[in-house]
Amino acid sequence: MDAKIKETLLNPIFKGNPITVLVLGICSSLAVTVELKGALVMAVSVIIVTGLANLILSLLRNTIPNRVRIIVQLVVVAMLVILVDEILKAFAYPVEKQLSVYIGLIITNCIVMGRIEAFALGNKPFASLLDGLANGAGYGLILVIVAFFRELLGSGTLLGIRIIPESFYEAGYMNNGLVILPPMALILIGCIIWVQRSIQKDLQEK
Amino acid sequence: MNTNGNIYTVVYSAIIVVLVAAVLAFASSVLKPMQDANIKAETISQILAAAGIQDKDTPTTNEAILDKYSETVTEAFVVDLEGNVVKALDTKRENIELVDGLKAENTNIKNNAEVNLPVYKFNNGTTVIPVYGAGLWGPVWGYVAFKEDLKTIAGAYFDHASETPGLGAKIKDDPSFRALFQGKTADFQAEPAFAIVKGASAANEVDAITGATMTSKGLSAAIGTWFKAYAAYFAGNAAPVDEKHCCKQHEGCEEHANCEEHEGSEEHENCEHKDCCEQHKTVEE
Repeated sequence: MDAKIKETLLNPIFKGNPITVLVLGICSSLAVTVELKGALVMAVSVIIVTGLANLILSLLRNTIPNRVRIIVQLVVVAMLVILVDEILKAFAYPVEKQLSVYIGLIITNCIVMGRIEAFALGNKPFASLLDGLANGAGYGLILVIVAFFRELLGSGTLLGIRIIPESFYEAGYMNNGLVILPPMALILIGCIIWVQRSIQKDLQEK
Repeated sequence: MNTNGNIYTVVYSAIIVVLVAAVLAFASSVLKPMQDANIKAETISQILAAAGIQDKDTPTTNEAILDKYSETVTEAFVVDLEGNVVKALDTKRENIELVDGLKAENTNIKNNAEVNLPVYKFNNGTTVIPVYGAGLWGPVWGYVAFKEDLKTIAGAYFDHASETPGLGAKIKDDPSFRALFQGKTADFQAEPAFAIVKGASAANEVDAITGATMTSKGLSAAIGTWFKAYAAYFAGNAAPVDEKHCCKQHEGCEEHANCEEHEGSEEHENCEHKDCCEQHKTVEE
């Protein structure tokens, strides 16, 4: 594989992760990580939106009038978000009901606009598509990690299936109510950033 | 080409907007039938949850919900404010009719206009009616199931558009709030017939949700309004219940059999209708 493509694909997953390194898209990662299922759907939705938005705007990049470029970006992103919402409504209604507010908010997710401005407007369509998908995946990865711990510790389930056996509850084990609340998502993200920075020393501030 | 000219900018923006609109319109019209089917199944599953036929939290498919409904429903029809049956609703599997647009009906009730109030009867003896009103941020609605006497609440299920998660959203998310309604009795002579209040004491009251005053008030008003609208129908159609013979209600149930057969024995002690049977005995004496 071309080294540049590899770099485009892998950088946003770990070294330049949009949540833990760029600290973008924090708000939605607090809101949709109570359950793993919601986080997975949100992750897939964001991957699709960032990927396609980057692709479309990269194709249009030489035609977009500079003065209205943000508006054109917004229109395209809004279209994709509405499409995702409509498709979920048709094929995954219960999930959509739970997530509809946050799906609508993908448009305000800084990752989407950030990658269009920073990458898609200056690069070829294929590279932009990869960049969008990879950034969405980087975001989704953190979402899934956080949701994994929040659902496991907060509800004792994963994807709605009970993981912690009944006998634990009978022995006095209780689900942690704090994990369900948004502050714990922030603390978990903090822990992930901590782990990442201790592995990747060059991110540490002097 | 100069992409920064005024004319170019205007034309370009116009084309983009029209294209996007066309894509969205196309997607919307293609997906509409599936979305409507989902919404209908969701409504039916809420009715079934209220009637206590199927737990809302069990994952299931649209098909299974429709099957369950057509199996368990005995009658569905529309009544008016005077309690007259206006028309029947189709309950056949392939063409289940519901009353949509509770919002419009809510306005009609308030204006004393012509209304279509749906009544769904199920084979477990419950009669389910909807309620609809304004919560804090958006509409709240739900379904309440009554027992044969059309006074005792058998179960309830509530939903909302945008109440605060963790507070107002508890009307849907917290099963213990729903459970409060079970066994309560609406008093159709009183105004309101049923209420959600702080420190509930009467049989037609349940406790409000802490921290969700406005949602609780809104839901309470919704229940009050809709119960009142159904009062005439209920008054005319309640199964005659002679309080002396309350045991008759439980005829056929296993507990009842135990009561009679094992009077004085241990099984009788465990029978959940013990009090009722004893009262009955006292009355007869």
